[in-house]
Amino acid sequence: MKSTIICIVCPVSCPVDVEWTKEEVVLGIKNHLCKLAGPYVESELFDPRRLLTTSIPVDGGDWPLVSVKSSPPIPKDMMLEAMDEITGVRVKAPIKVGDVLMTNILGTGCDVVATRNVKSV
Amino acid sequence: MAGPELVDVAVIGGGPAGLAAAAEAKGAGAGRVVMLERDERVGGILPQQIHDGFGTKVFKEALTGPEYSAIYEARVNERGVETWLKTTVTELSRDRVLTVRSDRGIQTIKAGAVVLAMGCRERTRGAIGTAGTRPAGVYTAGAVQYYMNVSNLAVGRKVVILGSGDIGLIMARRMILEGAEVVCVAEILPQPSGIAGNIVRCLEDFDIPLYLNTTVVEIHGKERVTGVTLAEVGPKMGERKGTRRFIECDTLLLSVGLIPETELAIDLGLSMSPATNGAIVDESFHTSAPGIFSCGNVLQVHDVVDYATLEAEKTGIAAAKWAMTGKLPDSKINISAGAGLRYILPATISGEDAIDFTTRPWKEEHDKSVVFKSGGEVLRRLKMPHMEPAGMIRVRVGKGRFRHVVNNEITVEVED
Repeated sequence: MKSTIICIVCPVSCPVDVEWTKEEVVLGIKNHLCKLAGPYVESELFDPRRLLTTSIPVDGGDWPLVSVKSSPPIPKDMMLEAMDEITGVRVKAPIKVGDVLMTNILGTGCDVVATRNVKSV
Repeated sequence: MAGPELVDVAVIGGGPAGLAAAAEAKGAGAGRVVMLERDERVGGILPQQIHDGFGTKVFKEALTGPEYSAIYEARVNERGVETWLKTTVTELSRDRVLTVRSDRGIQTIKAGAVVLAMGCRERTRGAIGTAGTRPAGVYTAGAVQYYMNVSNLAVGRKVVILGSGDIGLIMARRMILEGAEVVCVAEILPQPSGIAGNIVRCLEDFDIPLYLNTTVVEIHGKERVTGVTLAEVGPKMGERKGTRRFIECDTLLLSVGLIPETELAIDLGLSMSPATNGAIVDESFHTSAPGIFSCGNVLQVHDVVDYATLEAEKTGIAAAKWAMTGKLPDSKINISAGAGLRYILPATISGEDAIDFTTRPWKEEHDKSVVFKSGGEVLRRLKMPHMEPAGMIRVRVGKGRFRHVVNNEITVEVED
């Protein structure tokens, strides 16, 4: 089977031509400018995932919100459900980039991790 | 009033370009480097850009905006750059005296070299002249991004987005995730303004319709937006009769382009490029005024922050070199954009170093080449599987290629 998948890893957005078998084996890709396209295209075909980014309110911080991401990316069709889980959660300052704020969200094995430093005030 | 503060390099703006320029100026040996930022925080727009996709060129991984910003903020602090927050530069003279205003009052700075890194701002409703009433609920996309991602404020429940710039696309997804309804995105051009990846992950992932050749011709509502009228446009941007339709919404987001904040550059009388709206620079990002440099979005609007960072790093090093020695490579070779390209930057080079050129095509192209020529001979031919106006192209040409330049002229064009 053949298709063209736009790589979304970086803003260059390479339109990657991909060919694969019904046993879910990628035979080859072309039209990409870097190595990040291969793993993305394979995931997009057989297990589409997205990095979910949002924010969580912080008590006692120099920012009212801490920005967060799913780590690793979560299944694409679970983004809105995951947002429902995250909504209502509050955290306390201080927070450092990389702090795990929620674990194994919706049983996906994905954590919710801080992407901003928030100092206590 | 006290005499001016003496600094080696003054960087105006503490966004991604200013951070990278200041860090590298200091790293290259400049003594006193001051970064002037009018906001309360550094990072420019990055702290509000909580989505990922930053750093794929520089760090070979996709970081979020706040993560990317934090790396450079730590770097300027470690290297001993002085950051002056809540500080606005109101005047800059050709002899590199800056007048700055802050909560300390008005001060003057005399700088050995100045880096202009003021970034850009969003075009507003006024800039595009939309008819109708003046209700609440009309915002630029970047302003809404700040409200939602920094200030924790919601702006509306049912949204129409005008313009398919990247921030507008990112905000379409963001508003869906936060529970709002995004009715559609309307784009006046026949192609999206944002990059293809954002059409996929921000619109297609959430089944948000994108109407091309379509614009908002009227905004309705007295106190608050109650809806907008969309209409299709013809090839000359004129409204097509009989295509008007009313869309109910309480919020209109505008993502209709960015304008470099070049006021200081224009006041100085720098030579400006009509294609980029930024200053004309040589390979050291040196403008037409001695000791004044420019980089980042005030020089040319970037769509990839990594490229702004790389450009600013070179600028910071060059500014430090100028401040310390007063010398830079002699840029005597003129570079001009030929068929198929809107512009090429830098405008002049020395031929003594490899150069990363940046350019944009006029239209979408497939399987073409970008060709550097001098005296009718090809210096370098770079294959381009895919080019589009929304994607800046950055191509490196090694210094060996410049050995055969004729009459100090190079033309760059798109060929089959």
